[in-house]
Amino acid sequence: MSAAGALMKPRFSDKSFRYQLIAPSIFVLLLIGVFPLVYLLVASFQGITMIDNDTSFHGVSNYAALFGDTRLWEALLHTILFTAIALPLELVLGLMMAQLFIDHMPGRQVFVALLVLPVVIAPIVSGATWSLMFDNRFGPVNQVIGWITGEEATLLWTISPDLVYPAILAAEVWQWTPFMFLLLLAALSAVDKSQLEAASIDGAGYWRIFFRIVLPAIWPVMAVAVLIRGLDLFRLFDVVWALTRGGPGTMTETISIFTYVKGFQQFETSYTAAVALLIIILLSVVVILALRRVGLAR
Amino acid sequence: MKLSQRRNMRLALRYVAATLLTLFFLFPIYWLFMISFKTADEIYAYPPVWWPSSIQFSNYLVLFKDGDAATVGNSLIVAGVSTVIAMFLGTICAYSLARFRTGGENLANWIISQRMVPPIAVVFPIFLLYVWFGWVDTYFGLILLYTAFNLPYVIWMMRGYILDIPIALEQAALVDGYTRWQVLWKVVFPMCRAGLFATAIFTFVFAWNDFIFALVLTRTEVATYTVQVTHYFGGQSNFWGKISAMSVLGTLPIFIVVAFMQKYLVRGISLGAVKG
Amino acid sequence: MADLKITGLHKYYGSMHAVRGIDLEIPAGEFTVLVGQSGCGKSTLLRTIAGLEDISSGTIEIAGEVVNDLAPRDRDIAMVFQNYALYPYMRVYDNIAFGLRARKTPKQEIEEKVQRAARMLAIDHLLDRYPRQLSGGQLQRVAIGRAVVRNARLYLFDEPLSNLDAQLRDEMRGEIKRLHQELDKTMIYVTHDQIEAMTMADRIVLLRDGRIEQAGSPLDLYERPATKYVAGFLGSPSMNFIPAQLVSQDNGLAVRLSDGALLSLPADRGNRFSRHRDREVTLGVRPEHISRAADDALRPGVVCHEVTIDLVQPTGSRTYATFLLGGVETVAELKAHDVSAPNETVKLALDMNRVVLIDPASEEVL
Repeated sequence: MSAAGALMKPRFSDKSFRYQLIAPSIFVLLLIGVFPLVYLLVASFQGITMIDNDTSFHGVSNYAALFGDTRLWEALLHTILFTAIALPLELVLGLMMAQLFIDHMPGRQVFVALLVLPVVIAPIVSGATWSLMFDNRFGPVNQVIGWITGEEATLLWTISPDLVYPAILAAEVWQWTPFMFLLLLAALSAVDKSQLEAASIDGAGYWRIFFRIVLPAIWPVMAVAVLIRGLDLFRLFDVVWALTRGGPGTMTETISIFTYVKGFQQFETSYTAAVALLIIILLSVVVILALRRVGLAR
Repeated sequence: MKLSQRRNMRLALRYVAATLLTLFFLFPIYWLFMISFKTADEIYAYPPVWWPSSIQFSNYLVLFKDGDAATVGNSLIVAGVSTVIAMFLGTICAYSLARFRTGGENLANWIISQRMVPPIAVVFPIFLLYVWFGWVDTYFGLILLYTAFNLPYVIWMMRGYILDIPIALEQAALVDGYTRWQVLWKVVFPMCRAGLFATAIFTFVFAWNDFIFALVLTRTEVATYTVQVTHYFGGQSNFWGKISAMSVLGTLPIFIVVAFMQKYLVRGISLGAVKG
Repeated sequence: MADLKITGLHKYYGSMHAVRGIDLEIPAGEFTVLVGQSGCGKSTLLRTIAGLEDISSGTIEIAGEVVNDLAPRDRDIAMVFQNYALYPYMRVYDNIAFGLRARKTPKQEIEEKVQRAARMLAIDHLLDRYPRQLSGGQLQRVAIGRAVVRNARLYLFDEPLSNLDAQLRDEMRGEIKRLHQELDKTMIYVTHDQIEAMTMADRIVLLRDGRIEQAGSPLDLYERPATKYVAGFLGSPSMNFIPAQLVSQDNGLAVRLSDGALLSLPADRGNRFSRHRDREVTLGVRPEHISRAADDALRPGVVCHEVTIDLVQPTGSRTYATFLLGGVETVAELKAHDVSAPNETVKLALDMNRVVLIDPASEEVL
């Protein structure tokens, strides 16, 4: 009956038990989670490159170099661009799909089960799939465009500067709209039906009900979905890797691909460390702000 | 029109829309699967062939003959073993967080924040650490990494499932004469069986589908199927058969698994935010 | 010898002082009921006895042994939980055997004990079922069976009947009491329901705000409450409390109500109250001590008063009548046909031999 029931106080010999339980996990997380951060911090003040293992103190020179690195800021811009376009698209399309399925509909489970399949495919495989789809000669996309326009289409989806963004976004939106759909469908199903009925008896129209009742009710889930997807988009790598490898030139290079190139192809260790820290700091700020907003909205 | 007629009309329209949507989302998957069964002539036919004249498995046979298919085995080993370890360590840690509030909200938040760090930012120092210890391209290295990568997820999810268990069940066992560890085995694990199962599936899928860690931390010995797929990318497009067959080998198991766990999908992919 | 002895027990949850100094001795074989409103600390007290909660200070002794630092499993107690605490993934048989298995009891012995307990509780036909296939009453029997097989030193019940509907609750009350007589074990039973406390207890311990308000046999508490709180808590409908003044009348004492009515106290009680003469008091009258005044001779100490009935609530065997007495709403438990309709004016008799007088300031019974 009492609130005490919600919590088991550790007692007697149990006092060490709680720490026995968390010790292995904390050790692994420290090793793989915290060590890298510490190393990044140290290395970012040194001058290690492929040819020179210079561990002397270089001050903030790497950080200073970040500001003049247009390729870095462009990569960041590309990442933000992908996020800013894909996220609202996925959200709106997902919401529309969820609305389509929310009312009683025999066989709905079958549709839902099929629609979520893209979500569980490996992103690199999804990228590979779309590179097959977008092939200028043997892919079905150009073929369908040809049927519609009546003349042979030879669009170079993964090469032409005008088309790479739509191509990557198509693959991205295709894979993750069902994610939004699934979450929003669950959220919509949880909306209190009696509230909707009461509102419609009171004479409220469809849009009024949607904005005044449905949207506030699903807002927490929407916020979580946007947060999860936003974080994923910020680390966008696989699909771009499969479709363009950041090309043409560095036109579709995301921050993740940029970091990979710097670290593992050019081996600019210290500079990469500074970049990685920059990413983590940027992301932390965004996440904390986002969580505050969600917290306030609740 | 009568109300019931209008309703039926609407339902029919919704079925049409639902069918079109489903076709749209399934088509790329169909295309991928279909290519893997085509002959080279059909793959590189112009205009593209939408329906292969015969189902043939030569693309798969090549993968098995060259040993490339073994990368699926590597994926299975690293994803499977890391899942088992992460599930065990994560669940007992989650139990401590849930029942004793060990470390308070701060520890719980720190743990989930570990999952938000982008892989690319940490994979670089981890790579250097692995070079130092000689763990690159070893099962151990990849298993350790996936265990660490999945632990926050497991802890977060299992904490939710454990909080759903009525605490009196554990207290009754304590009074009845069981030790803390016995209570874990005999009460907590059986009580959250469904949650354990669902979480394990997602943990497995995350490791199975990972590309970036495997790309950096493997060479040839333990390359996973996602890395292997990208080996066929590049200039000449005559590897399409291999790309698709390899992708299907890696994707099919996941489809099968997901089909069995529709019930837990929503809670799993929303990090427990939606109980579905 | 005391089977359970609690001395100076305090329990804090952070800054919340849940148990504020409990001293309690429970003799072997006694059925003790800890009763009080929710939040009075009764469940916390029970859980500290079980060892599920740490105590902040004080000692708990079971059979002469201080158990403060013993884990629950080492205290040799059995406990029945409010929500049954049955394992959904185990059959009834395994649920009952669960505690025995923890103690490495031989298989043969487990079988015998489970069967015996199941027969005792009339659930022997349910042993192969799973909890989800049982009704609430059956679940409760299984939960009790689980405790019974243990043959523990001490049996604890944490509001075990609160999830059952009224009829089942009556039935199980008798069942548990019968069980206590058969097993002859020390049992401590927590409830917020005063009827459960009255009907089941050898001794009631009434808790309020983490302290013992009064302890004693049920009738003792009922007839000789120490405080207004106890007087009001036990009995249904509750005791009526009417503000009044204690005044001299003729050669004895009387209670004057705010409407001026004088109710004289019997001479033998007068002596006890004489030093409170001319003070404000609260008159406590139980509903069953008010009856329809017969025209013929009244017994000594019974006074009459005419009232207008506001509300009539028949229950079948008795009828509850509500009316204003001394400016407050008062309930009388009358015979079924004593009153028939509201607004009826009737003459009621108050048995002044049974009333209590309470000091309004300290709320203690005089």
